[in-house]
Amino acid sequence: MSEPGDYLQAFETPRLAQLAANLHTAAFPLMKLMPARYMVDRAEATGHLRRGGHIVETTSGTFGLAIAMLACALDYRLTLITASSLIDPRFKDRLERLGATTLVIDDPAGDGNQHGRLERLQEILDVRPDTFWPHQYDSPDNRLAYARLAEQVVRHCGHLDCLVGCIGTGGSLCGTGAFLREMFPGLRIIAVDTHRSILFGQPAGKRMLRGLGNSVLPANVRHEMIDEVHWVGALPAYATAQALFRDHGLFMGPTSGAAALVAGWFARTNPQAATMVIMPDEGHRYVETVYNDSWLSTLPGWPVAIPSAPTDLDRIRPAAETAWTRFSWNRRTLAAVLAQQQ
Amino acid sequence: MAKIGTPRLTDSRNGKGGEIHTSVARSLQTGVGRAIAHHGEFLQGVFEGEDGRLHRGLVTLPLVGCQAVATFWPREEGRIRTRPAKRSKAARAAAMTIEHLGLAGTGGDLTIDSAIPVGHGYGSSTADVVATIRAVAAAASTRLRQSTICRLAVAAEGASDAIAYGGDALLFAHREGRILEHFGGDFPPLFVVGFRTDDSGPIDTLRLPRARYNAEEIQLFRVMRGLAYRSIREQDPRMLGRVATMSASICQRHLPKPRFETVLDIAQEYGACGVQVAHSGTLVGILLDANQHAGGQSAVTMANALREVGFRNLETFALNAEGIVAT
Repeated sequence: MSEPGDYLQAFETPRLAQLAANLHTAAFPLMKLMPARYMVDRAEATGHLRRGGHIVETTSGTFGLAIAMLACALDYRLTLITASSLIDPRFKDRLERLGATTLVIDDPAGDGNQHGRLERLQEILDVRPDTFWPHQYDSPDNRLAYARLAEQVVRHCGHLDCLVGCIGTGGSLCGTGAFLREMFPGLRIIAVDTHRSILFGQPAGKRMLRGLGNSVLPANVRHEMIDEVHWVGALPAYATAQALFRDHGLFMGPTSGAAALVAGWFARTNPQAATMVIMPDEGHRYVETVYNDSWLSTLPGWPVAIPSAPTDLDRIRPAAETAWTRFSWNRRTLAAVLAQQQ
Repeated sequence: MAKIGTPRLTDSRNGKGGEIHTSVARSLQTGVGRAIAHHGEFLQGVFEGEDGRLHRGLVTLPLVGCQAVATFWPREEGRIRTRPAKRSKAARAAAMTIEHLGLAGTGGDLTIDSAIPVGHGYGSSTADVVATIRAVAAAASTRLRQSTICRLAVAAEGASDAIAYGGDALLFAHREGRILEHFGGDFPPLFVVGFRTDDSGPIDTLRLPRARYNAEEIQLFRVMRGLAYRSIREQDPRMLGRVATMSASICQRHLPKPRFETVLDIAQEYGACGVQVAHSGTLVGILLDANQHAGGQSAVTMANALREVGFRNLETFALNAEGIVAT
């Protein structure tokens, strides 16, 4: 698969750029290509995926697009299981254009119905046991794939004091963070989540900002690696994404906006700390929403003034989509933090 | 090489060219070649090449002050005799170099005079081979490209380290004898306090089983390679020390050095940058930042501390450091 001249390998490489004196970014066109390609490579090498084989995954996001691009180029059949609240017709069309079969599961609660999706996935595995399930939530390969990003960051920036990134499966932040902390043991790791995601102890609920956070807890989320958690609402994330485009020409998705908001604040308040922020995808998928003024004007609270600093929380709780909150996690386990919150 | 008419070669190979042998030998002279030792590796593992595949590779710590010298006296008789006797790898290297230079049929006496101890990971065997290749080339009044020397060395002994490139900082595929990445600069300035962890005697380094690395280690090697590159770019001894310590720790799973934890403790106590080992040998080196004030003095006091806890055969040397280490 890793043939010389493999365009998908170039595609997975981020642009590394400086945003401020002590702030760098790794801006990806499509970050999920990195774990998707590594997982497919490993599955081929270990015999879990044979020529012309079948891949199944539950995803509504960019991992689905990445694996669809790979499956199409490499001649694998692919089934993607998603939820009705999470997928728009354009994105579905894009996946199907790449030959993927999309199974859309009902989602009355609007929380992504991950349990329903996993049940459906299990049915497929039961019928066709030779199917390869990358299992991006729990497979350690998801994290290991990010050695490639860590290498690029180390080559480009050298010493690093702080890594900021979104957290959804935990793969990119905990993977990159683990490798970078091996190199720089004092590295601070900041997780960017959103209100009503359960990853760091909030109750599940309807989330407006998609592409980060989760309603189930993947094994790749390593709480004991995380120094602090920020929950960014959809509106400040959208507004910061727009600001990135205006100030730097960086046309990124809303999760990149959320990460940039947190990283910009950290770098400003810690001018001696060399900081790196991971930006996971570009803005093209969001031209009808995040980059569409008439859509934005329908949102309560829009236009929003971007907060200059987060609100510190002592007790973990959800907040409005206009809010940005912060909690000192201090490398504890989820259980330890929740016990203290009782 | 320019002196030798290649067409004649065909004749000599056919065994019809006694006279040609004479003329070839006459055009040769006594040649001397040198090669340095190394003190194990800063980094060893498997690394992705430009072909997208994984290759075994290493970053060698050069030990410039310790050398092998080979002298080659060409003779018309087509046989290589070595002194000391039975240096078969060096003899093979000489024959292959002769062949490569288009001098097939030429023989000679090869003397190897080496200060490099055998069987601890100093690369004594490769140094003999590389010095020999250079001596034969010198005998033909030519200089071989470094890449050619490496290829001949691998052909002669099955593996080669990077010492044909002298003190250059590079990631080298030692089983293939070629560069995976040239880091494009000098190693950052270091003082090294080196010693052998085990005096149970020399080991046959080429017969050691090859390390099998797991997926996590293979991915970690990527990042370590990046940090090695960065340490050379920034001339930062700390970054290179970090790479060395991680690599040495991974090596503990494959060819463990006794009392490694003690070494790490002493390194930390004296503010060292890191610890490196010979991945197929008994050598350990503690790395000190030579930019640091009184780095040379730290080397001396640390050497004493190591001696006190029972480590023997201590040696202190500098790499790209402009100061002098008193021992």
